[in-house]
Amino acid sequence: MTNLRNELAFDVREVSYRYNQVAALNSLSMHVRRGERVALLGANGSGKSTLLRLLAGLCFPERGEISFLGESLTEHALRDEEFFYRFRRRVGLVFQNADVQLFSPSVFDELAFGPLQLRWPAQKIRDRVGEVLRSMDIAHLQDRAPHRLSGGEKKRVALASVLVLDPEVLLLDEPSGALDPSSQARIVDFLVSCGNGAKTVITSTHDLDTLEDIADRCYVFANGRVAAEGAPLEILHDVALLERAKLIRPHAHVHAHGEGGVQPHPHVHRGEGD
Amino acid sequence: MLPFAMHIPDGYLSPSTCATLAAAAAPFWYVALRRVKSALHARLIPLISLFAAFSFVIMMFNLPLPGGTTGHAVGMGVAAIVLGPWASILAISIALTIQAVFFGDGGITAIGANCFNMAIVGSLVGYGTYRLVAWRAALGSARRVAAAGLAGYTAINVAALCAAIEFGIQPLLFRDTSGAPLYAPYPLRIAIPAMMLGHLTLAGLAELVISSGMVAYLQRTDPGLLRATAPDAPPSDELVRPAGRDRRLPTARKLWLALAALLILTPLGILAVGSAWGEWSARDFADPQVRREIATASRNQAPPPAAPRGLERLSSIWTAPLSRYAPSFVRGASFGYLVSAMVGVGLIIVVAPLLNWLLALLPAARPGRRRKGFVEKTARGLLDVTEQALFAEDMAAASGFLQRLDPRVKLIGIGALIVAAVAVHRLWVLAGILALGVVLALASHIPIRLLTARVWLAVLAFTGAIALPAIFLTPGAAVWRVPLLGWAVTQQGVRSAAFLVLRAETAATLSTLLILTTLWTRLLHALRYFRAPIVIVAILGMTYRYMFLFLAAARDMFESRESRIVGVLAPSDRRRLAAASAGVLLGKTLQVSGEVHMAMQARGFRGEIRLLDDLQMRPNDWLRLAAFVGAATLAVWLGR
Repeated sequence: MTNLRNELAFDVREVSYRYNQVAALNSLSMHVRRGERVALLGANGSGKSTLLRLLAGLCFPERGEISFLGESLTEHALRDEEFFYRFRRRVGLVFQNADVQLFSPSVFDELAFGPLQLRWPAQKIRDRVGEVLRSMDIAHLQDRAPHRLSGGEKKRVALASVLVLDPEVLLLDEPSGALDPSSQARIVDFLVSCGNGAKTVITSTHDLDTLEDIADRCYVFANGRVAAEGAPLEILHDVALLERAKLIRPHAHVHAHGEGGVQPHPHVHRGEGD
Repeated sequence: MLPFAMHIPDGYLSPSTCATLAAAAAPFWYVALRRVKSALHARLIPLISLFAAFSFVIMMFNLPLPGGTTGHAVGMGVAAIVLGPWASILAISIALTIQAVFFGDGGITAIGANCFNMAIVGSLVGYGTYRLVAWRAALGSARRVAAAGLAGYTAINVAALCAAIEFGIQPLLFRDTSGAPLYAPYPLRIAIPAMMLGHLTLAGLAELVISSGMVAYLQRTDPGLLRATAPDAPPSDELVRPAGRDRRLPTARKLWLALAALLILTPLGILAVGSAWGEWSARDFADPQVRREIATASRNQAPPPAAPRGLERLSSIWTAPLSRYAPSFVRGASFGYLVSAMVGVGLIIVVAPLLNWLLALLPAARPGRRRKGFVEKTARGLLDVTEQALFAEDMAAASGFLQRLDPRVKLIGIGALIVAAVAVHRLWVLAGILALGVVLALASHIPIRLLTARVWLAVLAFTGAIALPAIFLTPGAAVWRVPLLGWAVTQQGVRSAAFLVLRAETAATLSTLLILTTLWTRLLHALRYFRAPIVIVAILGMTYRYMFLFLAAARDMFESRESRIVGVLAPSDRRRLAAASAGVLLGKTLQVSGEVHMAMQARGFRGEIRLLDDLQMRPNDWLRLAAFVGAATLAVWLGR
C-alpha cells in the first residue's frame, strides 16, 4: 500500500491554458498521489474546472506537461486506441453541470453509455448497471428521462454514470454545488467512503464546511495559479489566505452585549466565494 | 397544435407525392450527413442534436412585427448562416421530425415533403442568398445584417412556393372516379397566390427579423461564429465590439422599406415559375368560380394562418371585401401575385395600427384583461409545449391496450394505418379507419373528450376552413345553389372537401394515439431494432432531451425579462430583445454542445456511438403486428 501511495497518479508541470484569449491556468504545477483524496479550492473562475478537464484529457495545455501514472497525457497519445480506452477506463470525470452529463434518453441508457463505448459484453453491462443503480439507490429511476429528474437525482445519476466503469481516479467538479442538504450529505458520504485509499479522488469545491471529511490534502487556486497547498486544517486556519482566494468574505458584524449596547468587531464568515 | 408556419399535415398530399419528395430529400440527407461527418468528426452528434433543439425552441419565439402583430419563424436563415447549408439541413430536418412525431405538427407521411421544402430548399436558398448578398463584406458590416434578413425572407418564400406547387399539382393528378380531387383540392392558380400572400408578408417578415437580428447580435457579441460561412470576408475585426446600443438592427422604418422593396422584387422573381405552372393548370381547369380565389387566399396555408396570430383576426377583415372585386386583378395570374401581396400589406399597415389603438382602449374598460406582450406570449407558448410533452409522457406511462403494445408493433401498425388512411379512395373506408382509431383510443383509456378538443375540433377548424371554399370552387355537377348569391355547390366539391377533412382527422387521430401511448425511450429502442442509422437514432434522442433544457432556459430568460420590463417597449426594442434572446440561446447551445461532447468523450466516446439491443419480439407481438398490417392492407384493398 505504501508503495502505491508514493506513486504519482497525476503530475502537472508548469501548465498554461488559455480560454477565449483569457489565461485560465498560468504556469501551474501540482501533483496527486495514487489513493489520495485532494481538494481543489478556489472562487469561481479560478481555474479549477479547467484543470479537471485537462486532467481528464479533454483539453490539452498550451505549455507545460501533464502525466498520468508516468505516461505523458497528450492529444497525440490519446489518439492511440489502446491508450485511449485504458485511460478512459481508469479516469472518470463528473461535470459540474449534470445536464451536460446526462445526454441519453433514459437513466438506464445513461449508465450503459460508458461501458458500451468501452465495448463490454452486453450481459456484463446489464449486470453492472443494475448493481450500480441499486448501490446508488436510483433503481426506481432507471426508465426515467433526464428532464424528469430533480437536481439531486440528476447529480446522483451523473455520479453513477461514471462509477459504473469503476474508475480508479475520480474527478469531481463541484459535486455538492446547488444541492439541498440531504442530497449534499449523500454525496459527501460517498466521498468519505472513498477515504480508504482504494480510489484517487480529486474534488473541486468552494465548500469549506465539508473539506476535512472529503480531502487529505488541498490546493488553493487564485488567478490560475496555486496560491497554497496543505492539509485541510492548515488551510482552514489561514484566514488571510482564504480571504485572498475569495473563499471567505470579511465583514463588520454586530453582536448585542448585554446592557453595554452593540459592539462592532471584525469577523469572518466561511462561505462561498461568489 | 403549435403555431408553426407552413407544416403540411397528413392527407393534403398523396402517398406518391410524399414518397417522391422523401426520395428527393434522401440524397441531400446522405450528402449532408457525409459532409458534416467529415467536417465535424466526433462533434457531429452533440452539435447537430443541440442545434436541432435550438431550432425547435426558436420556432416557438413570438416575434414582434410592425403594426403590433407577431409571427413565428422557422429559423432556416439563422441555421444556414451559422452552421452552413449541410449542417442546417440536418438540424432542421431533425427538428421537423420531432415536431411531427411528438407534437403532431406536420403530418407523419408528409415529413419528407416538409423536410424537402423547409430544411433542404430553405437552407440552400438561405445560404445562397446570404453568401451572394454579403459577398466579401466585413464580418461586422451592416451589409451582412441586410444579407441575413434577405436570406431568411427569400428562404421561407421559396420554401412556401415549393409547398404551394406540391398542393397545386394534387388536383391535377389525383381524383376519384367522379372527378373529385382526393387531396389538396386547389389548382396551382389558387394554391400559389394563397400560400404566397401570407408568406410574402408576415411569415417572411418574421424570418427577416430573426435572421437579421441574430446576425446583428452575433456581430456585437461573438463575430467568430459568423466566420464559418464568410470565407471571403476580410480577416479583420473579430474582436468583440464594445457592448452598447446596437444601431444596426433594423428600425421599424427600415423594416417597412425593406419589406416594400422585397414585395416588389420577390413576386417578379417567382413569376416565371408561377406562370409556367399556371398555364398547365389553366389547360386542365375551366374554373367558373375564379372570383372566390382571393377569399381562400388568406386561409389556404398549411398551419394556423401564416404564423402570425395577429393576422388571424385581420384576415377575416380584409378578405371579405376583396372577394368582390379581386377577380379582375387575379385573372391575369401573374399580376395577381404582386397585387394581392401589396394589397395585403397595405391593409395591414392601415388596419393594424387602428386595431392596436382600439385594443389599447380596452384595458381601461375591462381591467381584468390585460393585453399580453410578446414576451409573456412567448413564455406562455414555451410552457405549453413543455406541458404538452410531459402530459403525453404521463399518458404513455399509464396502462391500456396500446400502451402495453411492443413499440415496434405500434410504430409499424399505426404507421400502416396512417398510410392506408392517406391512400384510400373511398370515404366509407376512411370512416372505417377512423372508427378503428376510436376503438383503439377507448381500449387505451384515452379520454374521447381529449381527442375531441385537441384533435377533432382543432383539425376541423383548420382543415375545415381550408376545405370549405372547395365545395364551390371544384368544377363538377351542381347539386345546390346558395340563395341570392347563386354560387353552385358541386358534388365533386363536397366529396373533395369530405376527403380532405376526413383524411386529416383520421391521420391526426392515429398519430395522436401513437404520441399519447408511446414512451420516447421505448420508441428509440424500437428504431434501433429496425437498424435505423445509429447516428440518426442518437441525434433524435439527444435532440429531444436537450429540447427540454432549452425550452426551460428560454422560458427563464423571457420570464426574467418580463419581470424587469417596466412600461412599454418601443417596437424596435422589442425586436432587438427577441433577437438578442435567440442570440443568447445560440451561445448557450454552442457552449452546451461543446461540454456534452466532452462529457461523452470522458466516458469513452470516439465518434462512433454504440447502443444496447435488448428488445426481443415475442410470438404474440408478431400476431398483433400481423393484425395491424392486415387491417391496413384490407383498407387499402377495399378503398382502391
